[in-house]
Amino acid sequence: MRPPFEVATRLIEATVRILDLGLLHGASLLVPGGQRAEWRREWFAELWQVRRACAFGNRFRWAAEREIAGFCLGAFQDAYCLRRMGQQAGTPLAISFSSAWQCLLFLVAILSAAYGMARLLPGVRAERSMSPYQARSGLVLIENADDDAPARTISSGQYRAWKDQKQEFFDGFAFYRVTREPVDRESALHGSRDSSGWGVARASSNFFVLLGLPVRFRETDAGVDTELPSVVLSENLWKREFGADPHVAGSVVRVGLGRATIAGVAPEGPWGLPGNIDAWLLEPDSQIAPAGAGYVVAHLTNSGKLRMDAPRVPIKSFSPHRTPDDLLGIALGNGIPGEWEIFRFAVFLAFLALPAITSFSLGDFSVSLHRISWLRRFFRWAFLCAKIALLLPIVRYASLDLAYCFTRFNTNQALYIQLVSAFFICLFGMRWVLIDQRQRCPVCLRRVDHPARVGQLSRTFLAWNGTELMCIGGHTLLHIPSLPTSWFSSQRWMLLDPSWEFLFAGTVRE
Amino acid sequence: MAQEKNPEAKLSHTAAMILQAVDAGFVYGFSIMEMTGLPSGTVYPAMRRLERDDLIRSQWERQSIADAEQRPPRKYYKLTAAGRNTLQSSRRRYPLLERLIPSEEVGSV
Repeated sequence: MRPPFEVATRLIEATVRILDLGLLHGASLLVPGGQRAEWRREWFAELWQVRRACAFGNRFRWAAEREIAGFCLGAFQDAYCLRRMGQQAGTPLAISFSSAWQCLLFLVAILSAAYGMARLLPGVRAERSMSPYQARSGLVLIENADDDAPARTISSGQYRAWKDQKQEFFDGFAFYRVTREPVDRESALHGSRDSSGWGVARASSNFFVLLGLPVRFRETDAGVDTELPSVVLSENLWKREFGADPHVAGSVVRVGLGRATIAGVAPEGPWGLPGNIDAWLLEPDSQIAPAGAGYVVAHLTNSGKLRMDAPRVPIKSFSPHRTPDDLLGIALGNGIPGEWEIFRFAVFLAFLALPAITSFSLGDFSVSLHRISWLRRFFRWAFLCAKIALLLPIVRYASLDLAYCFTRFNTNQALYIQLVSAFFICLFGMRWVLIDQRQRCPVCLRRVDHPARVGQLSRTFLAWNGTELMCIGGHTLLHIPSLPTSWFSSQRWMLLDPSWEFLFAGTVRE
Repeated sequence: MAQEKNPEAKLSHTAAMILQAVDAGFVYGFSIMEMTGLPSGTVYPAMRRLERDDLIRSQWERQSIADAEQRPPRKYYKLTAAGRNTLQSSRRRYPLLERLIPSEEVGSV
């Protein structure tokens, strides 16, 4: 046998063996927790026998491996049988459902569902994939602050004056005004001419450069008539009117009285700019109507950024006629918190509020010579940390699912829903994590069961009374006082030594 | 459960074969599979039910014995008194049982 072939055979053999073991481990998850260790021990011992019986010298044989795999598949029937027997008997099922692994699997299942939903919801995708102004900071929308004015717009003359003068706080301006205009286009999809009205923003040609927004499909505009002004479509319009055609760039449409070439598609997202806009018609400044009024977006210089100490700041300016104007600068993008900031804030609030609804204590231990090993203590804390580590992404994705199940963008409503839902899911999730941890045996991490009332309420100050719970594996007893007293303020674990074993006949001690 | 322990209780042929195999000295899972020709998905669940009904009892082999033979310890099964009675009635019900797995045959232990 040639060495490479032998190596390949050995690799296949090792893989098949791992698969066999994986099958047995997978089947063992069906077995109630209390019987699982012994079940695995028996099946692994039997697998050893089967492998020895099927072995044909040192040679790898597919027929033998098939037989062994068939044997391992039978483990699922055996495990299912044990599970059904457990369900009929009643109590062992409690063991299986209360094991630490099943608790973690339950959390992983919830996390997977929440994450899967988040991946499917378009609002979450849009929120997570892009923030429109992440490419450029220091953008400000300048509005008229005069409450008596019919609209908060700025005149195009004012815009030109600002642009022509050297500014201390701004190093770039863009202007746009929104009009409803008839649009004629030759539909590439339907091969027919149709006419419709779009909300068109007639914007200065530097509009997208100033905002730092990428325009999709722009690179395909080679050979486009550069004499014509260009029009950039919104994502919605592109999907609605052009069927999301990726070859839309270069088409010519008639907007109002003039013709324009489609330059590309603007990114989807919460722009935060006023106006209901379907497309941006980019025109040179010379073509902007001198008497028109619209909105101005400006980019701050470094000194301007220092002065912009709030999301909204008043701006004092003088009109071309030397009359003072009261304006308002609104930060774009910076004022809108991202989902990550909201999540962190909600978690912070939830952790602050947590002591109000539950205690952080995991219980005391009765004085005893019998002690838990360091390894068990480590597992106990690792289990708690694992639950919290799984809970936090659940909080994040579940709150996003709730916030964006009915909306596509991060509207204020979606942000508030995310904040409130993240807060409550985190708060009550952490409460569940702590309560669950308090009810788990520190040795085997199974939930304690079989509650029994001990003592009489009428003798509260004369003798202990409360509830006693028992670890099904026979490791511990948990005493929870009915009324916390100075000498028994919180729940207390009593570790059971092996002399108690006779009480737990039939259960597996770990 | 009391009804299941009744020696006259009717066992399936498969369960009766497994009882017969255990009685014949095939006392761990794989040896029963080899003897009866039944697949693992049938033998082990049947043994669980027989053990639940107190017809067989299981016991782990001592580690020292397994170590001496350089293999993992086996879980051995043996008939209980109720199992022996049930097997007797099953033999009357399935006359070929003893021919399939003769009791005199020495098992693999």
